[in-house]
Amino acid sequence: MTSIVLGSKKTQQTTKPNQRKATEVQKNNDSNVLVRLEGVSKKYQSGSNEIIALSGLDLEAREGEFLSLLGPSGCGKSTALNIMGGLLQASEGKVSIAGEEMTKPRRDIGMMFQQAVMFPWRTTIENVLLPIEVFGLNKKDYVAKAEELLAMVGMSEFANSYPWQLSGGMQQRAALCRVLIHHPKLLLLDEPFGALDEFTRESMNQELLRLQSHSGSTAVLVTHNIAEAVFMSDRIAVMTSRPGRLIGVIDVPFARPRTPDLYGDPEFTKLVVKARQMLGLA
Amino acid sequence: MSSSADIRSRGKALRKQTKSTKQSMLVGGLTLVVFLVLWELLPTIGVLNRVLIPTLTDTIWGLGQLVSGGYWWEDLGSTLSSVVIAWTIGVTFGITMGVTLGTSPFIRTAITPYAIALQALPKIVLAPVLIGALGFGSQSKIAIAVAICFFPVWINTMVGLALPSAAEFTFMKSLNASRVQVFRKLQLPSSVPIVLVGMKHAMLLSFTGVLVAEILSSASNGLGKLVKEFSLQLNMPLSLAVITVVLTIAVSLVSIMDVLERKVVFWSESERGKNS
Repeated sequence: MTSIVLGSKKTQQTTKPNQRKATEVQKNNDSNVLVRLEGVSKKYQSGSNEIIALSGLDLEAREGEFLSLLGPSGCGKSTALNIMGGLLQASEGKVSIAGEEMTKPRRDIGMMFQQAVMFPWRTTIENVLLPIEVFGLNKKDYVAKAEELLAMVGMSEFANSYPWQLSGGMQQRAALCRVLIHHPKLLLLDEPFGALDEFTRESMNQELLRLQSHSGSTAVLVTHNIAEAVFMSDRIAVMTSRPGRLIGVIDVPFARPRTPDLYGDPEFTKLVVKARQMLGLA
Repeated sequence: MSSSADIRSRGKALRKQTKSTKQSMLVGGLTLVVFLVLWELLPTIGVLNRVLIPTLTDTIWGLGQLVSGGYWWEDLGSTLSSVVIAWTIGVTFGITMGVTLGTSPFIRTAITPYAIALQALPKIVLAPVLIGALGFGSQSKIAIAVAICFFPVWINTMVGLALPSAAEFTFMKSLNASRVQVFRKLQLPSSVPIVLVGMKHAMLLSFTGVLVAEILSSASNGLGKLVKEFSLQLNMPLSLAVITVVLTIAVSLVSIMDVLERKVVFWSESERGKNS
């Protein structure tokens, strides 16, 4: 299931149920772990004080699943994500991806941030193809795929527009295409739609779920929005601050594809309440 | 999809063209007419001393004298070629220094104190030294102009390379981009708008440097020498004619740089501000 290539909508529909089943099987199967954090801590020296951003985090992300890191600001969720992405080095503990120890950013990982980071001197499609250039691959081989991805998020018309001619939501759509262009095994998403308004954000989340299930990538999402975490995830790692640490993991059993109807489901509300209780909010 | 309306309205905004500013052109034209009429009238009726400030027609007559003189083309050519050569050297040197210092923290630390001292120095004081060392010919003119004009290019290149945001650097790092890739794909393009501004300043500073050198060194040629000689003879129509030529050249140089800027950095913040 790792080799599902982005194709037409038809293939998307046929692959989804299989993929779902596969994910369920994996839940009790340790060999399908893609990312493993063992006793990971991150400390900063601030003058004579030592600040513990993250303390003893044990967590894994399984292949193909959607995992959320949920918690208030300062709980170390972004730190954990940046360590997984190789942008930060853990002070203590071990990080491995696909069985290999993590030392620097890898090419089979795609990271997305709150800011779209589109270069204004490049058109949308040139921005989408930027990772290909950086990886030293042949751009020509990926133009068709870039066009297809842009079509999937409804942006074909804007392939040759410049980012500053686009709204914030459209820029994030393009960023979503860019993160998927090289078909990463692992998507690391640091509140990617946090700067967007509530309505755009919801449609972007749907878009993200669609593309993620389509590509079969594993996704790790950092968020502080409880309902969003429940809606998006297969599992939620609930974290707390001072020092940042993991409180527990919530399994979210709802079938995919998920629709906004889910928000009205009593089971959905129960999970939201459970997460609130774990965070000490209820 | 809820976003399709958003996309459509964006498309409309994209296609919308900005209206020409007829009104501001009208005001500009009127001001010019008033200015030219006053220029002709005030010295004629004696409000201004016609010997010191010639009228518009006197100046036009002077311009005719100037252009028909045998020396004119040689002087004009000498000044223009010196400006262009000095600017080219200054820009090349400035960009090289800026890139070297902007990308190497070690060299930056080593050179910064000298850079600050050099920036503070009114570089025109170097003119006599350079004339003494290089003589009255075009070499000293070019050297003085280079000394005056390279600084903004240097500083702007350094500033431009540091311009990308932390988020942009983080993004490049997340792609595991090499230092050369970060430089070529992020820092260099980001710096272009501000480097072009530096190059525009350098153009005018180079012109200033050449004129100053021509005025200072007694045996050289060029527009600077002409304006000095005519002024010493109290031949104000011709002096003013030379100044008019200098003004025309300066405005043309800036306009050329403006056109270049709009073409190259159509995407930059300030350019987009101008267009909308």
